[in-house]
Amino acid sequence: MTALLDVTGLHVALGRGRGRTEILHGVDLTVAPGEIVGLIGETGSGKTTLARAVLGLVRAHSGSIAIDGREVSGLRRSALRAFRRGGAAQYVFQDPLRSLDPERTVFDTLIEGLAVRGGHSRAELREAAREVARLVSLPPGLLPRHPGELSGGQRQRVAIARAVAVDPRLLICDEPVSALDASTRITILELLLRLRETRDLGVLLITHDLGSLGGVADRVVVLYHGQVVETGTTEEIFLAPRHPYTRLLVTSVPSIGDAEPPDPELRRALRAEVRGLTAHP
Amino acid sequence: MSVSPDSATAVRTVADAVSEPLLSVRGLRVSVADGTEVVRGVDLDVPRGSAVGLVGESGSGKTLTCRAVLGLLPAGVEVTGGRISLGDTELTALPAARRARLRGTHLAAVFQDPASYLNPSITVGAQLAEVLRVKVGLARRAARERAVELLHAMGLRRPEHVYAQYPFELSGGMLQRVLIAMAITAEPELLIADEATTALDVTVQAEVLELLSELCRDRGLTLMVVSHDLAVIAQLCETVYVFRDGAVVEEGPTRRVLRGPRHPYTRELIRDHERFGIDRVREQGSRR
Amino acid sequence: MRTVTDALRTRAGAIAAAVLAAVLLLAAIGPFLAPYDPLRNGADILMPPSAAHWFGTDYLGRDVLSRVLAGAPASVLTAFEAVGIGLVIGVVPGITSVHLGRAYEWITLRVMDGLIALPFLIFAIAVAALLGNAVHQAMIAVGILLAPSFYRITRAAALSHANAQYVTAAQLFGASTWRVLRTHVWSKILPTLVVSTANATAGGLLIVSSLTFLGIGVVPPEPTWGGIVASDLGYLTQRPYGPVFPSLFIMATVGALNLLADAIRDAGGDHGRARTRGRGGAARVRLT
Repeated sequence: MTALLDVTGLHVALGRGRGRTEILHGVDLTVAPGEIVGLIGETGSGKTTLARAVLGLVRAHSGSIAIDGREVSGLRRSALRAFRRGGAAQYVFQDPLRSLDPERTVFDTLIEGLAVRGGHSRAELREAAREVARLVSLPPGLLPRHPGELSGGQRQRVAIARAVAVDPRLLICDEPVSALDASTRITILELLLRLRETRDLGVLLITHDLGSLGGVADRVVVLYHGQVVETGTTEEIFLAPRHPYTRLLVTSVPSIGDAEPPDPELRRALRAEVRGLTAHP
Repeated sequence: MSVSPDSATAVRTVADAVSEPLLSVRGLRVSVADGTEVVRGVDLDVPRGSAVGLVGESGSGKTLTCRAVLGLLPAGVEVTGGRISLGDTELTALPAARRARLRGTHLAAVFQDPASYLNPSITVGAQLAEVLRVKVGLARRAARERAVELLHAMGLRRPEHVYAQYPFELSGGMLQRVLIAMAITAEPELLIADEATTALDVTVQAEVLELLSELCRDRGLTLMVVSHDLAVIAQLCETVYVFRDGAVVEEGPTRRVLRGPRHPYTRELIRDHERFGIDRVREQGSRR
Repeated sequence: MRTVTDALRTRAGAIAAAVLAAVLLLAAIGPFLAPYDPLRNGADILMPPSAAHWFGTDYLGRDVLSRVLAGAPASVLTAFEAVGIGLVIGVVPGITSVHLGRAYEWITLRVMDGLIALPFLIFAIAVAALLGNAVHQAMIAVGILLAPSFYRITRAAALSHANAQYVTAAQLFGASTWRVLRTHVWSKILPTLVVSTANATAGGLLIVSSLTFLGIGVVPPEPTWGGIVASDLGYLTQRPYGPVFPSLFIMATVGALNLLADAIRDAGGDHGRARTRGRGGAARVRLT
């Protein structure tokens, strides 16, 4: 089975002239259909740059990015636009309030992808909006509303629905729940799990919070200073992490369980070890 | 062996000190100018030397409660009922100027976004030293030495170097340490940490939480932790108050609340962690 | 356009709109209302206001009321013409400079910088000398000089929305630049643009008045408000209140336009949209 997303040896540099710095130093990553992969990294680790490179929002310096078997890293302008209209890869932003146009109704937002693609009648668009709203459990009464009139959870549903409306194969979610409250987080994560089941979506779930991946991700990829330092199933990463940075991450996550809190001494030793690593080759 | 009257008195004083909470809030009500009540009769006690957690979502009233304790409510929001006492002092009855003098010396706070509490064009060391001069009354040179000591005590490596740096040169975790140093300069009895680790990376959050619990243990500091993350509270606090819609829906020893939550909302908070948190995997792993 | 309708519901907005409607009506039918031929000289020169001549007569014995009414279209419509020209050559590059690549952006920026550097009156006189001293030629000059402020205002508004996440989301659907502009950017810029257009029209009216005052554009004896003020100024000793009548019309129109601009801007603020800073400073034009 070919991977839905196959990134190999990806190098990305940002900035111009003297300020140009390499953010990603040869990243490998795969996402299979129906798989949820958690991409974890701290601020500045390059996780958002990786997502933006996959979506063609920043240029890959070298390496390859294949989505559904098609090499996309070299696509420019009209070829890129044509590929995007196919809707194979979609993005869900962290903050639903900022990612939704405040002046456009939920309906307009939901059908945007189909409208860009063109060739749909008004009635078809209405039907599509209703269907995708049902898929993410948004009451149809909200369709004529504006984002300002919705709750945080409803907004994030709209954002996910907008992405899912074009029937993507790959969904990249950048911290989709970190702006939300506990009760809303549950429903949004459950929604992602359901979409994976019903639509066979591959999901790349980007987060700085390892703890939040527990019940969602099948595999976890740990990004540290622009390099993948460890990849494994969620259980492997959580229960038997190998790389010192992963071990530090796992022992740093606060827990509500009865297990005694991780030993501060162990963490101190791990921190020293992680600091000793030369991050840039 | 007979107990001497002196030691008996000592025992009683200690017992009194323990039973008498440092901070006591009774029937606190806070309203917005248009009459909407956002905190609706909150009771809470923070025993001396303990760590107490306030957990809830945004808009649950947890932050306004601690702002009311600090006397730093936003414009148009005011206390409309109830009492707040710190030790023997009734805070709600004090004029604003006296309350301002209590801040720093008796109670202090750190918040979510440390950078916004520092002047970007003055070195962090100079700002810390200024607090020492104003609040503790140290001379210039002594303030500088004490500031470096404090930075070191906050676990910052190369404190002399950090002293001379500007806020933008430091990471979020380092800035939060500087802010904590500032907060405890005048050795307050109560430190309020309002979402102080929310914006930090997990590994840095763990470091700052360790620092807070060390301060609590080594300096006898009393801690009030406000967070939306139940796990942060679970790690740090013996007692937890669960806030929802401006009221406390559940309170008790953290362990008891986590094991046997009584309110449906608390159960939901715990379910979030059990379904999607690290605990789910850890539990499955340990069952095997 | 919610902002504009909101603005019209406020008292200031409603008054301003009413005054402007009256002025436009005057521009449309004013010449037909004139009781006398505005160009016919009479024997009664420099008469004070009377039942026969409400505003009196000027130095050639012409009825001032008739001249003010007959001058309305030339005064008001020319201002609109100038603003229209300014809008087209300012707004289009203003929006597109953000979206059509660096080279294009650089060129438009330099051209606009160049226009800003032109001394206003000298440029207008030069254009009149080059293209002939007539209304439309003068208005082309005014329009060109209004363009940079429109360019900068639209560009600033477009820049602040160019990197909005919903714009990125639209681009990820493969939306063309034109579509993004039409669906996401245009509606955000419009309120700002309406405000600056109202301000610029006010400014344009003053410019037209000052140009005709100097004899550029509309050539005597054709009446315009600015021209009437100019001719009356020569006879201040005999008729000190003379310039008041035409000036009142200029003031009322300019005032109403600025009032409307402020009302729209304030209404825009309620929706959290881009606001132009400073009271009507947007497109005020240098008159010297």
